[in-house]
Amino acid sequence: MMVRFSTLLLVVVLGAVPAVDLRAQQPSAPDRFDHLKHARLFPTCTVCHQGAEDPEQAMWPDSAACATCHDGTKRPLVSWQPPQEERPSNLKFAHELVPLMTRETPQGTQSLACQDCHIAPGGPWMAVRRATPEGCLECHGPGVARHLAAPDSLCGTCHVPLVRAASLKPADIAAFPAPPSHRQPGFVSREGHGALAKGTAEPVAQSCTICHARDFCVTCHVDAPEQTAIQALGADPRAQAIAASLAAPASHRESRFLSRHGAALRADARGCATCHTRESCLACHAASQRVSGALYPGGPGRGRGAQPVRRPPESHRESFAARHAQMAATTPASCAGCHVRTECLECHRPSAAAGPGYHPAGFLSRHPAAAYARETSCNDCHNVGSFCATCHASAGLVSSGTLRSGYHDASRFFVAGHGRAARQSLESCVGCHVERDCLTCHASFGGRRFNPHGPGFDANRMRRKNPEMCTACHGTAIPSR
Amino acid sequence: MRTHFPIVAASAILLLFVGANGVGAQGYRLRLDTRAQGVAYRGVTLDSIPVADTVMPPGSGPISPDGFAVLCRPGAPYCSFFRPGPTRRGGPLTTTADLTVWGLGLPGLSVHATARLGVDLGTADVWPGSDPALQLLEGYAEYAVARATARLGRQIVASRLGTTGFDGAGVVLRDARRGVEIQGYLGWGLARGVALPVTSPALNPLDDFQPQRRQLVAGAGAGWTSGPADVRVDYQREVDPRSDYFVSERVGLGATVRPLTGFQLAGGADYDLAAGWWGSAEASLAYARRNVRAMVGARRYRPHFDLWTIWGAFSPVPYHAVQASLTVAPVPRLELRGRWERYEFDEAEAATPLFSAKRDGWRWELGGTYHFRAAWTLDAGYREEFGPGAGAAAIGGTLTYVPSRRLTLTLDGSAATRPLEFRFNEAEVRTFGIDAQLEPTARVRLGVSASRYQERHRRPDAAAFDWNQLRVSARVVVLFGSPADLRGLPPSIRLLPGGRSER
Repeated sequence: MMVRFSTLLLVVVLGAVPAVDLRAQQPSAPDRFDHLKHARLFPTCTVCHQGAEDPEQAMWPDSAACATCHDGTKRPLVSWQPPQEERPSNLKFAHELVPLMTRETPQGTQSLACQDCHIAPGGPWMAVRRATPEGCLECHGPGVARHLAAPDSLCGTCHVPLVRAASLKPADIAAFPAPPSHRQPGFVSREGHGALAKGTAEPVAQSCTICHARDFCVTCHVDAPEQTAIQALGADPRAQAIAASLAAPASHRESRFLSRHGAALRADARGCATCHTRESCLACHAASQRVSGALYPGGPGRGRGAQPVRRPPESHRESFAARHAQMAATTPASCAGCHVRTECLECHRPSAAAGPGYHPAGFLSRHPAAAYARETSCNDCHNVGSFCATCHASAGLVSSGTLRSGYHDASRFFVAGHGRAARQSLESCVGCHVERDCLTCHASFGGRRFNPHGPGFDANRMRRKNPEMCTACHGTAIPSR
Repeated sequence: MRTHFPIVAASAILLLFVGANGVGAQGYRLRLDTRAQGVAYRGVTLDSIPVADTVMPPGSGPISPDGFAVLCRPGAPYCSFFRPGPTRRGGPLTTTADLTVWGLGLPGLSVHATARLGVDLGTADVWPGSDPALQLLEGYAEYAVARATARLGRQIVASRLGTTGFDGAGVVLRDARRGVEIQGYLGWGLARGVALPVTSPALNPLDDFQPQRRQLVAGAGAGWTSGPADVRVDYQREVDPRSDYFVSERVGLGATVRPLTGFQLAGGADYDLAAGWWGSAEASLAYARRNVRAMVGARRYRPHFDLWTIWGAFSPVPYHAVQASLTVAPVPRLELRGRWERYEFDEAEAATPLFSAKRDGWRWELGGTYHFRAAWTLDAGYREEFGPGAGAAAIGGTLTYVPSRRLTLTLDGSAATRPLEFRFNEAEVRTFGIDAQLEPTARVRLGVSASRYQERHRRPDAAAFDWNQLRVSARVVVLFGSPADLRGLPPSIRLLPGGRSER
């Protein structure tokens, strides 16, 4: 009788708690039915929980039995009702097997009773607690102190794989506690969880199958179809209840990672293919799709993969626009990895209606300072004729053919002393002045024969390259030096 | 034939596109970028007055009766001066269409075209760049395989010698494994910095000398790229087909070395074979890590003039500059930056006994960026630059609010003075602006901005005038594409900030 009662009590407790909760519950957690309060009433567990001993019987007592005492007169009425459904669980455990389980005691080998699992050692009768995994491990895993530290080979002793635990709902799965190994540094790497998953004789470690199914791996693994361990797991969409986020490896945070990741890909594409689809390359490598050929294209059965955020390298920060020319000229292929031609043309062939872009707002007001000393080469993007002279002409800031004093009024003798300014800022001069202005004086043919040639002028070379230029000032009588 | 080449090329591209509709795998991408701007500016108007009508106040030079300082040339009967000009209002409206078509039956074959249609809704042609109304920036057919890329049509080649546009053919051969690339191109050239031939009337607003024929452009380049270093050399010549004389002939060399993690040494130079002198050059050592970025360098700049002008014979002198910049992030969310440059022109060897222009200059800048409350960014800076011809000192800042990935709001303001060296003019400018950028869908971007400019020209005479205006601009970008385009890509790519939807 005592055995029946103990068994019944065990069933009550286990039936009320999902298997996964066993690991997390504390022995002192209150039960909905206050067993201890009824300690003197029930001599055995199976008085109420006959199903714990006999599968043909109901696991739960008839609630009408409560009304024997709780009739509203002798005792207050109670509203307890037995659970309508079986509690979700991924345990292999069945209570009818308990009598077959034995343990060694000073009195010899004895079968397990309900209280062996559901009453703390030395505890009073009916001080029911939920069974703990550690209790199971006392026999099934001697020497294992904690449930989640149990070796991989033990998991299958008590648990069924997730894909077979049909009663578990996504919320139950999401509440699975993470083993300590999952918090180890490097666990997400190939050497971490990858090695654990493949570290047994089985295609995939038992411990993985208890909590995970293939659908969980596909959350991250782009190469899921190629991974035998992942394919060894069953498919089960409930597995996605466990949220996983893909963190970039430490190597990706190195300052030169962007410039070197191509070489890493060429050296061993397998590592990249774990998390990256071919499309993730295209997020940045818009104009060179060839580089992504070593990776798998995204598709059904594969993980969505890493979601790269397109960000400029550190070298591209402030003022890079003003000094990008050298790099762009030396390594155009590098630029083409991320940029399309339209981006270049936005500035190098600017729209008349373009607002601030390369130049900040209000640049027009201070452009003389940048233009006189050519902070950058203006004519890479602006044609002097169509841009500078057109605008200056509309503003009256031109002198076409006839030199008039008056504009450069900061010095009365500017015209006489303009030589240095002209040689220093000739590109600015031609924004307002035409060649005829200068030929008024600087020509030996119809001018005043002021020699405009200065340092570095190689007359013979220029005449050899294009004598027509010489005729503008010298006519057909081009001198030789 | 050459004159009509762009039209023929555009027509061919259009026909290819239309004809390609029957090809099953055909795909296309069309990006329409429409912008409008309302702007104004105010210049000067040349005027003159008989010498006898000028007045000479005590302690001053001659002025007109209405207070304008005048300049009188010795012996001339008239003195000249500049009155404030009329306010010119422009309203440029442009639409740039960028089309790419592929899947034309031959793998690797695609067609690209970028064309721009522009009008000025304000006073005719006040704003530069809107004439002619239709401009073909690029339009070419491309065949690309792993080892080669060939292009035929109007295209732009970028090298350290500049961005060269031409109508012709270009080919790039590469050995990706060895990092070697060889390039060659040939065609009829376009003018610098614009998608028009040098013969276009739009490039000659002052009725100056202008070539009668388009120049022939030929160029070659070779580069080697590896992990620690990149090297590239370019050669380009332009020839007048009428006379076979050179328009330009230059060679350029550039190299980048990455000796240690975070360090980059870059440099390059170009040599003008036609003029026989070195052009521009630069060398810099940069260090870039997450919280510190620094750069020191030296550079030299000499303008390049084609030989169909006489300007190269006037011996433009280069300047040499040393520069440095530093950016640090002392605490998260805060970044401080500084930049400095000093430059000096070579001796011009020009006799200027009565007037001497400045020969050297400098520019520096200090600023910072602070990100607070996740969605807010404050950026402010102060900048000064003084050198030959002009100077400027300005303080400015922006406050940016990004409440969602699709919306960006920016307020900006600045105050500046900009003195000129050769003219009495020390203008004060204050600006206040607001800008909003909205991306309602991945394929549509909208932008609108408005700025108030308050500018006062400080002079001691009547030529001082105010130039205040309100500038407004709007922008709409719409992206069209076949199912083979964006919709075929994972959401991760389509939704990337700054990703394809913005191109």
